[in-house]
Amino acid sequence: MQPRRQPPPAPRSGPGNPRPTPLLALLLLLAPVVAPAGSSGAENPAQPQDAGVPRRLLQQAARAALHFFNFRAGSPSALRVLAEVQEGRAWINPKEGCKVDVVFSTERYKPESLLQEGEGRLGKCSARVVFKNQKPRPAINVTCTRLIEKKKRQQEDYLLYKQMKQLKNPLEIVSIPDNHGHIDPYLRPIWDLAFLGSSYVMWEMTTQVSHYYLAQLTSVRQWKTNDDTIDFDYTVLLHELSTQEIIPCHIHLVWYPGKPLKVKYHCQELQTPEEASGTEEGSAVPTELSNF
Amino acid sequence: MQGTPAGGTSPGPSPMDRQTLLVFSLILAAALGQMNFTGDQVLRVLAKDEKQLSLLRDLEGLKPQKVDFWRGPARPSLPVDMRVPFSELKYIKAYLESHGLAYSIMIKDIQVLLDEEKEAMAKSRRLERSTSSFSYSSYHTLEEIYSWIDNFVTEHSDIVSKIQIGNSFENRSILVLKFSTGGSRHPAIWIDTGIHSREWITHATGIWTANKIVSDYGKDRVLTDILKAMDIFIELVTNPDGFAFTHSMNRLWRKNKSIRPGIFCIGVDLNRNWKSGFGGNGSNSNPCSETYHGPSPQSEPEVAAIVNFITAHGNFKALISIHSYSQMLMYPYGRSLEPVSNQRELYDLAKDAVEALYKVHGIEYFFGSISTTLYVASGITVDWAYDSGIKYAFSFELRDTGRYGFLLPATQIIPTAQETWMALRTIMEHTLNHPY
Repeated sequence: MQPRRQPPPAPRSGPGNPRPTPLLALLLLLAPVVAPAGSSGAENPAQPQDAGVPRRLLQQAARAALHFFNFRAGSPSALRVLAEVQEGRAWINPKEGCKVDVVFSTERYKPESLLQEGEGRLGKCSARVVFKNQKPRPAINVTCTRLIEKKKRQQEDYLLYKQMKQLKNPLEIVSIPDNHGHIDPYLRPIWDLAFLGSSYVMWEMTTQVSHYYLAQLTSVRQWKTNDDTIDFDYTVLLHELSTQEIIPCHIHLVWYPGKPLKVKYHCQELQTPEEASGTEEGSAVPTELSNF
Repeated sequence: MQGTPAGGTSPGPSPMDRQTLLVFSLILAAALGQMNFTGDQVLRVLAKDEKQLSLLRDLEGLKPQKVDFWRGPARPSLPVDMRVPFSELKYIKAYLESHGLAYSIMIKDIQVLLDEEKEAMAKSRRLERSTSSFSYSSYHTLEEIYSWIDNFVTEHSDIVSKIQIGNSFENRSILVLKFSTGGSRHPAIWIDTGIHSREWITHATGIWTANKIVSDYGKDRVLTDILKAMDIFIELVTNPDGFAFTHSMNRLWRKNKSIRPGIFCIGVDLNRNWKSGFGGNGSNSNPCSETYHGPSPQSEPEVAAIVNFITAHGNFKALISIHSYSQMLMYPYGRSLEPVSNQRELYDLAKDAVEALYKVHGIEYFFGSISTTLYVASGITVDWAYDSGIKYAFSFELRDTGRYGFLLPATQIIPTAQETWMALRTIMEHTLNHPY
């Protein structure tokens, strides 16, 4: 894991103390600074919560937004991971769900690229996320600053596409990564594309309390296509943190560089397969935001 | 390739030296050229006289080659050994029989033998005879770890000893390393790793830490002071059955392997089986769940062993339970949001420990109580420890934050262990300086 190349910050403490930014400092004046004797609990639906309370909720919202963003971007070379939640507010209605505004920073999923791109290169995102109790598919509105130049991203996507097309079929994959955490560079494109497809699944399944990580790919199968698209089936194991459960999902995706991603999936806990297409209207368009 | 005799542990050369050499060369050939020797046999022929001997020599000259002499035709009294490829067996045996050449089958199927030899070699390579060749930057099997423990204790018997505190459900030994400079019942520090078997980085970190302790004793003033006054106990494989299972069948197995009549699913979450808020929120009564707490507190032998040991000892002052992943350092309670009485002290200590950790490789950890930092969890180790009077009870979640999760690449073992050590040292130093 790459160390963060910034001046050493104060380490993060419990929910009362996300690392302060100037904006956040203002909010913190309203909230108790010393930790954590539990949440301040107020649940008046009309009032925003203090930043002090639901660090976990802000993180959930950031995660959901980021999965959605990755899916919408449809670019396996431009995947992002959560760096840090910076500020946010939440409106909680215990009967219905909650609405969360959150600002967070991201970094590239590919660790190597941190060295190429220059130090401390972080993207910034702001999102509004609405979780509905007992319902999947949080509604997401997210915008992020551009992290990678569009042309470079297209080049890398196309390179990945070529690598996928050159793979010999049938692919004899046991698991990616292997049990020791190693991913063969030859197999890396498969993993990145699988992560992209899994982002769709993880977006849909993230709630106020559940969140997921892609643990392992356990089978891969690529189909020949008539139209040059990448078409493949794979089985992933998702790790849900609050219950610690491992959830096998079967995912089928179709991809072509620059085109929206098409995903179908079926996870063991859900009984019905889900279908999705990237042609729905969405708002996850990377733009330059001058105030960041 | 090690030159150890096939499957043997004795230091001297084995009686089957020549054959062994040939077998090794075949293994090499098989490995390099991906040759397959399935069905090939080695025949031993006894030539009665020079005439029969020359008949055998004739075989050698055949093109394409039909036999491969391991022990060529020399004198009538000496046996002739030849490898015959499967496809040539019929021809060669007919040839021998028609000329009245007596033969016996020495090796019925070379490939089977090769496979067995390879396995034995690999095994003996793993069961090293000293810790100097043990790789701290790789993940190891249970056998390798237990073998390392024996070597380690032998090499550092002045301050390290091995204690068996019980047996797992599948009857594996549960082992604890004791680091002590003497005295009777010194105040003690407990560290456990691997209570959840899929968290491989924890066992690896524990092993490195054990070695770090013996390396730094006498050199690092803080550690030396700690060991002069206190004992350290490390349980490296807290869930040996689960760990073996992650190697053999399911890399992502978490629980132990206990089975109960009439219950379809296997295993109890050992970190929900303790007698503190047992059965509460954040644990599950469904046996198929990953956080199944078990039928009753301490029902699991792996937990009972620790409880009995710590209780009988009676003088533990700190307990640290190591997990992965999430990059967090936490203190009780997990079972509720209620703060512990020395919450402020634990908060400050966690903060110091996390800062010391950060200084090593720049890795950031969250810290706070378990319930507020991670999630509510009942029946957990550190809650029990705290309720039993151990004031300094901490739980680590090591690297990373989800990029690799449980499948943390082995290249991160040593950096993780190095930074974790600084946090452990901070906690142990505080414990030393705040006797109670």
